Amino acid sequence: MEITVKKIGAEQKEYIEIGCHKKDERINEIVRFIRSRRGILTGTKDNRRYSIALPDILYIEAVDEKTFIYLEKDCYESGRRLYEFEEVLSGRSFARISKSVIVNLMKIDSIRPSLNGRFSCLLRNGEQVIISRKYVPDIREKLRGGAI
Amino acid sequence: MKDHIKETLGIFFIAVTLIDAAMFILGMMLQPDMQFGYEAFVYPLIYGAIGCIPSLIFYTKKEMTFKQALVRDLLQMFMIAGLIVGVMFGSIKLTSDTLPQFIGVVISIVIIYILVNVIGWVFDMKTAVKMTEDLKKYQEKITEENA
Repeated sequence: MEITVKKIGAEQKEYIEIGCHKKDERINEIVRFIRSRRGILTGTKDNRRYSIALPDILYIEAVDEKTFIYLEKDCYESGRRLYEFEEVLSGRSFARISKSVIVNLMKIDSIRPSLNGRFSCLLRNGEQVIISRKYVPDIREKLRGGAI
Repeated sequence: MKDHIKETLGIFFIAVTLIDAAMFILGMMLQPDMQFGYEAFVYPLIYGAIGCIPSLIFYTKKEMTFKQALVRDLLQMFMIAGLIVGVMFGSIKLTSDTLPQFIGVVISIVIIYILVNVIGWVFDMKTAVKMTEDLKKYQEKITEENA
């Protein structure tokens, strides 16, 4: 298989195109690999640095001066501030839901009113995170296809 | 704070409507022949405004737990009851004639407070259901785009 890498202008959207005779398991594997690399963040755990695929992230939380990336079973620390994550993830399926949390919208199972006057979202792993009222209009806009 | 004021304004209008209804019901039960001047139209607005004061006092940016929110809500309710009862009965001596009014007002305040919260919760529930629907559509769209 011949591999060609072509440089394109900054105004164009980056893309990967595969020319093949038949879409077989080998091609599917390449596609899966590319998808898995499509969004990567880095975090540390036990002084080791790890790459974290965006689809695996449940939410990112800032606690005091530290930022933590939560996955279903793991938690990684990051040196980045929450607002930096907000910028990096602005075009992705992530949304700021409170002063201290950015959530992966693809990992939310449902949203319900919380008895403390706010909303909470139930994540697919059963965890609940609070949505502040302040962020509700922006979240609704994003869910309806707005670019927030 | 701006959002909280907006929210409190919504609560104010719900409270005014409920106070109006409570005044009508209590009045019909306890003093059906009583007559009022135009000033009677202002009372629900005044009591509604008084009822909103504790919500502004107890406002906090902190994310509260359910227990903390419950304690805050109970304190707010007692404060509202104290303020309104103070304004209404502060200069009146409690007698066997005024005692039923006093009890009626206190019960009304508790019912109105609970109703305001229940109505607020019903509105929030509607918002949450709509958001969950939008969320499901969004997730389907993104999943299709990635397929």
